[in-house]
Amino acid sequence: MIRKGLAGGSFKPLTEESIDRIHQTAMRVIEDVGFEVNSEIALELFKGAGAWVDREKHLVRLSRKRVMELIEMAPSEIRLCGQDEKHDILLGGQRVYTGTGGTALYIYHPDTGQKQLATLDDLKRIAKLVEQLDNIHLFMLPTYPSELPVEQVDVNRFFAGLDNTTKHVMGGIYTLDGVKQVIRMAEIIAGSGERLHQRPIISMITCSMSPLKMDRHYGDLVVTIAQAGIPLVCPAEPLCGATSPVTLAGNLVIQTVDSLTGVLLTQIVNPGTPVVFGSVSASTDFRDLKYLAGSVEMGLLNAAGAQIAQFYKLPFYATGGMTDSKVLDAQSGYESALTSLLCALAGANFIHDAAGLMEFALTTCYEKYVIDNEILGMVMRAVEGIAVNDETLAFDLIKQVGPGGNFITAKHTRHFMRDEHYQPSLSDRDSREEWEARGGKTTWERAAEGAKEIIANHNYSLPAAVRQQVLSEIADIVD
Amino acid sequence: MTEDILALIKGNVIQGRVTQDDEGFDEGVVGQPGVSELTEKALARGIGLRDIINKGLTEGMDIVGQKFEAKEYYIPDMLASAEAVGAAMEILEPHLAKSGIKSKGKIIVATVEGDLHDIGKNIVSILLRGAGYMVKDLGNDVSPQTIVAAVIEEKPQFVGLSALLTSTMIHMRDTIQALTASGLRDKVKIIIGGAAVSEKFAQSIGADGYGADGFQAVRVTESLSSSKENKGGDHG
Repeated sequence: MIRKGLAGGSFKPLTEESIDRIHQTAMRVIEDVGFEVNSEIALELFKGAGAWVDREKHLVRLSRKRVMELIEMAPSEIRLCGQDEKHDILLGGQRVYTGTGGTALYIYHPDTGQKQLATLDDLKRIAKLVEQLDNIHLFMLPTYPSELPVEQVDVNRFFAGLDNTTKHVMGGIYTLDGVKQVIRMAEIIAGSGERLHQRPIISMITCSMSPLKMDRHYGDLVVTIAQAGIPLVCPAEPLCGATSPVTLAGNLVIQTVDSLTGVLLTQIVNPGTPVVFGSVSASTDFRDLKYLAGSVEMGLLNAAGAQIAQFYKLPFYATGGMTDSKVLDAQSGYESALTSLLCALAGANFIHDAAGLMEFALTTCYEKYVIDNEILGMVMRAVEGIAVNDETLAFDLIKQVGPGGNFITAKHTRHFMRDEHYQPSLSDRDSREEWEARGGKTTWERAAEGAKEIIANHNYSLPAAVRQQVLSEIADIVD
Repeated sequence: MTEDILALIKGNVIQGRVTQDDEGFDEGVVGQPGVSELTEKALARGIGLRDIINKGLTEGMDIVGQKFEAKEYYIPDMLASAEAVGAAMEILEPHLAKSGIKSKGKIIVATVEGDLHDIGKNIVSILLRGAGYMVKDLGNDVSPQTIVAAVIEEKPQFVGLSALLTSTMIHMRDTIQALTASGLRDKVKIIIGGAAVSEKFAQSIGADGYGADGFQAVRVTESLSSSKENKGGDHG
């Protein structure tokens, strides 16, 4: 059974009072401090929407009343569609989904211990792999093809995704022309522009620049994407003690303001634009200010972010499931599991980066997708929680079996065992003798076999006619 | 008495306290004089500038460096100490000029055109000040022309360029070419840094040095200062 879209929310790191105080402080920041907008077109739009604009400083301030009005315009639920309907996901509320993330520059090969720059072929193979891994619900484009010039990157990344998996494809984007090419390609695959709007098989990501700053290029991109009505994620990446206060509460204030900046802009451009409130909040290593991807505080921050998104009734994009470890080891396992679990239990709608990333998110690894698929299966089982009803309490059965009996032969056991108990696809539960007889393989060795098998034996590609049309109409695709 | 004040300066550099209002690494020091007050006091007592710098500031920073290496201190601790030294150097600067003691040199720093990321550059500035350099910070998104104009105006011995993005690092090359075209290239040593760049890139664009992090930036500056081919300062 595949668990997805189940409701989280049992873990609440913030009280209602704490959420309100973070909200009030964020509003004070937007009203009194403001944020810097370096895109001229975005600056004009904010001005037109009633913001106080200081042209010289590129500074924008808004009243909290106006902020809340704009947030109200944004949909509280967003459907992200797969090419196959069974992969559709409905972001919003406390429903939990997981996915890959990026964008990693390198790929690591555990068998050689080497890492190298990732290529377009790596991206295609990862898409094939993720297509078969059931606990990864959405495919976010995880790597950057190092061999391509930047103007070819957007369209080739999205094509690599759409041509190798039927899951929804989300990705960061790099150029304005690239955005337009990607949208045109998605229209061909969806059937038409209208059908793409009805069933968005792609979504895009642009980033704010914490603290309180919107880059010129990304500001322009937000405007273009919102005009096209393509679902957009606006995450911010405040790092404790570097680009936000060192305190977790202070980080959440910056996180809230910076992500709302993007949300507000999309609603000014095109009211009702499907926009996702995003968090990439994280900690830093105070010894060198490196971005850390596996800290427990990151789990707390992103779980809290889910509560804040629920407060604003905005769909949420969280970050979890990564590791700072350079290899697949105990650290990579516990960091990935802990951060994913905290987000999921808080009801984070889409946990991105939840599969495949290691070494501060700089590096991706085939085997880690398989391992994370297992972790996420367990995480989703934890989200599901414990069903309590007459059938599961099983009084009649207990009475029937009675003292000293057993439940092995009970129909009740067969009926519930597979659903009540997560069935691992990777974890080793053999006795030592069995395990040794099977070669005494470590987790990553078994994961490597799984990854190789999937990539060798499974091959989705776009329907031939559609594929042909895409290739003939869209220039720059490297087939 | 002299020894006491110098020991206090050194101790407060280690504590990372610029003024009497600052907290230190240890508890319960707020209200006691910081490095600024102590430096003023040392000057008033007529303590020699070299002693203040060597036995107070530099010895303090050396211990801070050791504590950092030992993983006892973090970057914010290190920066607090460097700021304390920078504040003291500012107080000492007019006296240094009068007494004919040469400063270690002036460096212009900037994040290059198109790039708004300036945290790394700001850290490098603090560390360079802490190491006794005079730093002129031009900010972020700085065009090659602005940097050329600043080199003419400020007559620095060094230019430090920073870029976080792979899309803006190319403007480092543009800046170096603009300095060459203006006949200023051999007047300054150029040091680059930032997430996007590397030693190899530094060589490929004809920079003189590369700092992978703030500490290496200071070390590279120090080594270029002592190199014999450094013509910096000739025009100053």
